[in-house]
Amino acid sequence: MEAPAREADVSLSARNLGTIALVTAQLALTLLVVHAFRLESRTFFDVMLLATGGFAVHALLPMRYRLSFFVLLSVASLVLALGLRDGGFVLLLGLVLIAVCHLPIPMPLRALLLLGIGALFAVFRVGKLSGPWSMAIWPVLGSMFMFRLVVYLYALRYENKRPTPAQAFAYFFMLPNVCFPLYPVVDYSTFVRAYYDREALSIYETGVKWIVRGLVHLILYRFVYLYLAGDPAELASLGDLVQFVLATYLLYLRVSGQFHVIAGVLHLFGFRLPETHHLYYLASSFTDFWRRINIYWKDFMMKLVYYPSFFRLRRFGGNLALVAATAIVFVATWVLHSYQWFWLRGGFPLAPQDAAFWAVLGAFVVHGSLREMKSPRKRRLGAASFWSASLAFRTVRFFAVMCVLWSLWSAESVWAWITMWIVVGNVAPGDLWLVAGLLAVGLLIAGHEWSVKEDDGKPKPLPLRPAFQSTAVLAGLLLLGSTQLYARQGPRLAATVESLQRSTLNARDAALQHKGYYENLDNSSRMSAQLWDVQAQKPASWIGLSQTRAARFREDFLGGDLQPGASITFLDKPLTVNRWGMRDRDTTREKPPGTYRIAVLGPSLVMGSGVADGETFSDFLEQRLNESAGPASPLRYEVLNFGAAGYTLFQQLAMLEDRVFDFQPDVVFITDSPRALEPMVEQLCGQIYRHVEIPYPTLAALLRESGVMALGGTGAAVPFQSVRSLLGAAGVSTRMPWSEAERRLRMNGDALVDWSFAELAASLRRHDMPAVFVALDNVVDPLPKGKAIVGQARRAGFLVFDLYDLWVGRDQRSLRIASADNHPNAVATRLIAERLLELIQQHRVELRIDAAAAKSQPVSVKEASR
Amino acid sequence: MSDDVRATVKEFILREFLPGEDPAELTDATPLITGGVLDSIATLKLVLFIEERFGITLEAHEVSPEHVNTVADIARLVDAKKAKGGRAGV
Repeated sequence: MEAPAREADVSLSARNLGTIALVTAQLALTLLVVHAFRLESRTFFDVMLLATGGFAVHALLPMRYRLSFFVLLSVASLVLALGLRDGGFVLLLGLVLIAVCHLPIPMPLRALLLLGIGALFAVFRVGKLSGPWSMAIWPVLGSMFMFRLVVYLYALRYENKRPTPAQAFAYFFMLPNVCFPLYPVVDYSTFVRAYYDREALSIYETGVKWIVRGLVHLILYRFVYLYLAGDPAELASLGDLVQFVLATYLLYLRVSGQFHVIAGVLHLFGFRLPETHHLYYLASSFTDFWRRINIYWKDFMMKLVYYPSFFRLRRFGGNLALVAATAIVFVATWVLHSYQWFWLRGGFPLAPQDAAFWAVLGAFVVHGSLREMKSPRKRRLGAASFWSASLAFRTVRFFAVMCVLWSLWSAESVWAWITMWIVVGNVAPGDLWLVAGLLAVGLLIAGHEWSVKEDDGKPKPLPLRPAFQSTAVLAGLLLLGSTQLYARQGPRLAATVESLQRSTLNARDAALQHKGYYENLDNSSRMSAQLWDVQAQKPASWIGLSQTRAARFREDFLGGDLQPGASITFLDKPLTVNRWGMRDRDTTREKPPGTYRIAVLGPSLVMGSGVADGETFSDFLEQRLNESAGPASPLRYEVLNFGAAGYTLFQQLAMLEDRVFDFQPDVVFITDSPRALEPMVEQLCGQIYRHVEIPYPTLAALLRESGVMALGGTGAAVPFQSVRSLLGAAGVSTRMPWSEAERRLRMNGDALVDWSFAELAASLRRHDMPAVFVALDNVVDPLPKGKAIVGQARRAGFLVFDLYDLWVGRDQRSLRIASADNHPNAVATRLIAERLLELIQQHRVELRIDAAAAKSQPVSVKEASR
Repeated sequence: MSDDVRATVKEFILREFLPGEDPAELTDATPLITGGVLDSIATLKLVLFIEERFGITLEAHEVSPEHVNTVADIARLVDAKKAKGGRAGV
């Protein structure tokens, strides 16, 4: 970075000062947008704040001080994001790595030494060793050094100019990395070459333009994530399938948005890095796609893998060398993605669907490369045509292929991906219109050769100037985010935008997170970025209940319960289980005279995940019922907590018969969230797979009818009944893949929930008890499907206490046990108890409280108090 | 010598990658790699052509924007190679 100090560029002329002031003002607007839409993390906002303030100072500094100032800002961002101790350790460990690169020993020895240090760091990363730092340092340190060290060593080996300390520190510790660890590869030569290689003001304007573009991508991503991305197991028609594969591909907007923001921020400090993710959805072929998408990765692979492989192999012929070098690049990309995963998230996933994705992509790129080797594609230096039918069809065809491939890459398993295509033949009304509409819009857009050329400095009308465009988009986003301005005129738009302003999980991820509590979500490589963000915020000690001593596994339909007498710390709170296996104080099996007993059943929010003993809503409800009854009441209340993390409606039914009736409750509260079905399906699949007997003949018949008993077969997993039958006829033993069974059960979801409610109601009727369904969810906005489950409960004869709307209009963050965990905290469990108290008082007759009171003899004050 | 190299390289690039383009558009300073004219495959084709045409051998690390981003860069590289003795790498 031989400061190409065009002092004219940095003189404090009125024009320059004006442009710097304008860019600073645009960055301030950017901050408002980030704040209004709560984009990414809090650290992102802090780093953008630092970058905005830093830019104003940096741009006015003489050129010779700028790089050092950028390094200072980058170090400050480390401390800002990680705190003084962890930030300091990242700096220290990073300095050690950079120092090793410059040791006066032969290059291979330096590389070996770095490999050794890397191996030692890997041991720390997996937690086998612990240091005086937290685990939070590894994703950041990893993103800064895991690939850049290789590029840096390469530059030291082949380039004549030695890096200055400021260049090296700026390269490794670059400012935006602390909040965007997915940005690990930058070419060192490019980083140095592009430093202020154009007029400074135009670099700044480009930077703002890219940041704005990145923000738009991030907001669009949130819309796709919340409204378009769904659960592949719930697809029912061709239209659903098209929406799913399209949304899966569009979810990449988050990565491209982050890359634009990062490259834009680096522009603000003079690093005119090349544009990445350039209109990648408009790629017309695999080679074109590879050239457009993450070009930093592409350039890294070219430099370190492709060219060296080609040059070594070219003696075998140009085409063979090309094919082999391309194949090596794609194998390396696959493995290095897992390597990247290791440093960023831990674990080293090498899933078959990843291999399939990279293999297919690689094969197509090889094919395209050979074709281009034979007849090169035509390039243009001048203007392009307005619309070309050939380009339109090629681009739309390629987009469709990428959607399909991307859905494979993102799939939970290969079988899950294959089985989701079952619905392709189910054409719902409107599906063909949807496909035709998408096709028409796609062709219209894709036929034009869009190109975003850098500003050539020529005078332009105001609307075409980048500064004007960026400001207009930022102002538009701010207006859009100010929903109070148009909530009356457009309540639906306002509600949609408000939902985009919250970083919440979509329905599928909320279900996955819910599942994780009892099942230990072990497939973190398939987690969505959003879910991972949430999971990563949780302390390492926050493990699922099933991994603790308080959980007991059972080989029956109940599947598991709480270990009687267990006393543990769970989610940092004391959790004690009484001798009867309830998260409750000790009690007698026989109901004391003059007692009205309520048995509460349900999942983790009933058990009280994340609240201390004595702070569950059952505890508070009992306390409030007795308080409101008063000491003179002939009746005392007991609320027994039979909740256990992850309990489904099936398990609540089994628990009723296992022990609840022994405690002679006067009423039973069955509790579940709107996501009741997903865990039920998981439970059934697990039980069929493990050959657990289904003790309910009607349920067993329902399962046989849906064909899912084939999941319990002993052979290899093979999708589709027809293929299994064919193989069976040939004497090959097969079973249904888990994903297919899951899909079939989801298709019968309503029947399963109806059956559960009917069976629960029948069981309670047999014991002459009123049946109450408490519709209660974690601290989230009500889901639309909550209405359906409430309706199903009512139809089965339940008295429904609908608390799904309990959290509406409240400060939800203050009611959760943690920002990354939506379970109700002690304040929220009190609110639940208060609402239940009101509902119980309103329904005293149906709950037979007055009848119970009439039957009771007055008891002494001493007996009445507990 | 350099002028010959420039003319030969320009002619190859125009013929192979920019057919139909106005030759005047391709100057000695037109960015080939960073400007999108040469992608990885085109660069390799050009490398194979240069090696064969001028009797030199290029190394993998020389196939970068630092060495072959413009016609002028390429001419400089070829001249340097030839001055150092043909097939030997720099």
